Amino acid sequence: MTEPLIELSGVSKRFRFFQLEDVALRLEAGQILGFVGPNGAGKSTTIRILMGMIQADRGSVRVLGHAMPAEQAAAKRDIGYVAEDMRLYSGTTLAWHMDLVASIYPGWDPKYAELLLRRFNLHAAQPIKALSHGERVKATLLLALARRPRLLLLDEPTTGLDPVARHEILGELMDVVRDDRRGILFSSHNTQDVEQISDQITFIDRGRIIDASEKEQFLDRWRRLSLDVPPGATPPSFPGVVGVSASGRIAVVTTRAYSAELEAAYAAAGMKVHDVQRMTLEEIFVANVMSNRREEER
Amino acid sequence: MSGSVFNRLVLKDLYLVRWMIAGALVAGVGAVALMPVNRVATYVGGVSLVCVLIVLNIFLVMTTVAQERKDKVLVFILSLPISTRQYLVAKITANLIAFVVPWLVLSLLTIAVIDRTPLPNGVLPFWVTLLGYLLAYNCVLLAIAVATDSTGWQATGITAGNISVNFFIPFMLSRPSIAAHAEAAAAVWTPEVFIVLAVETAIAIVALSAAIAYRARDPDLV
Repeated sequence: MTEPLIELSGVSKRFRFFQLEDVALRLEAGQILGFVGPNGAGKSTTIRILMGMIQADRGSVRVLGHAMPAEQAAAKRDIGYVAEDMRLYSGTTLAWHMDLVASIYPGWDPKYAELLLRRFNLHAAQPIKALSHGERVKATLLLALARRPRLLLLDEPTTGLDPVARHEILGELMDVVRDDRRGILFSSHNTQDVEQISDQITFIDRGRIIDASEKEQFLDRWRRLSLDVPPGATPPSFPGVVGVSASGRIAVVTTRAYSAELEAAYAAAGMKVHDVQRMTLEEIFVANVMSNRREEER
Repeated sequence: MSGSVFNRLVLKDLYLVRWMIAGALVAGVGAVALMPVNRVATYVGGVSLVCVLIVLNIFLVMTTVAQERKDKVLVFILSLPISTRQYLVAKITANLIAFVVPWLVLSLLTIAVIDRTPLPNGVLPFWVTLLGYLLAYNCVLLAIAVATDSTGWQATGITAGNISVNFFIPFMLSRPSIAAHAEAAAAVWTPEVFIVLAVETAIAIVALSAAIAYRARDPDLV
């Protein structure tokens, strides 16, 4: 069995106003892990711990078989990291950065770099300070991709990009995992992007992992049921039900554990299920976060 | 490979500040060239030389350390295959090279100009201790920038450093071992001069070592 690209367990990190608690992540080769959370949930901190830029207070962090941050220099030889807030030297050009990165990584692929320049409509001679936000993100992505890393850690790379730029970037990422030795961890609060490319999804909120599963399992498990409720009755809360809203004789039940048995259970309670809807990843994400927060507040 | 990355990062920083170094060399050579012209020019040239080295010191540290962090280019650099400690050592190495090369050229030129012109050689110990002080100031400011992200601390370091030069000059000129021989034809290297140079060297080494040790305890740079 091959070693996972990322293995994070029991990781905690305390800051003055924020705390990452008992975070666990696992990414196998050939997979794209969507790491989804609201702003300030701890996505960037987790990724920087994976990069060895921030040292965890507790827990175990292994990336590409290397213990982090102790072996970060060795691990980073095979990691491409792009963050939404990453900047390049404004007084230089993209070509200068390409030369710098090429001189450091023996695996730099100049032909692929040229191809990415064309695909992203970038010009190597372009000064960094003249790049737009989208061009800058594409430039940093080019610098990460053209070194052909085994692991890509992408911290909100599509934030603030127009739909065309997002499409170009997501397309390029899908290409990367055609090589099944490679993998991507992709953080975002844009669930559309995550839904489009991820195999695995992990939700994080307020420094804690609140749910993790294969994308298809999320989409299969989560459902919204519309019930006809007899006058004076309230829908019972079966295991897995995370929210109930009622209006007159109609109640809408949100569940994280949908099955035919659940429908039968409501029918047995005298409530007719007249509609079962699949949920989008965004709806699942919001329902998940809100139910988790309600449980925390109890 | 890390050795190669280390060298690349040092060369990268030197490339980015190349015009700053060149400008300091040109301005510094001009300042030293003024010194033997007449008494007023000696004063103007001397003050200008000190100003050039102080400005170079501040610009180098603020550009390569503080600005890089503020502009979030540091995130890009730390994504390269290098440890936090290697990054810090590379940063200090690049800064020291960028400052020491023009400092050494201008120091040797100053000594040569004093030695080869009618300027009294008795003033040499004063100039050597002053140039040593400016080097120590560079190391202290670099240490502050490496150790803390606080622009407040960096501004305090710059202000305190600049003010301290104004105290150091009259302090040294008033020392009997310097004042008594300042107009002499030959330099007199008293034990006091060597003690001052030893203290300056110690301050530079302690400041940089403390900065690296401090960051080793708190390695989160971003």
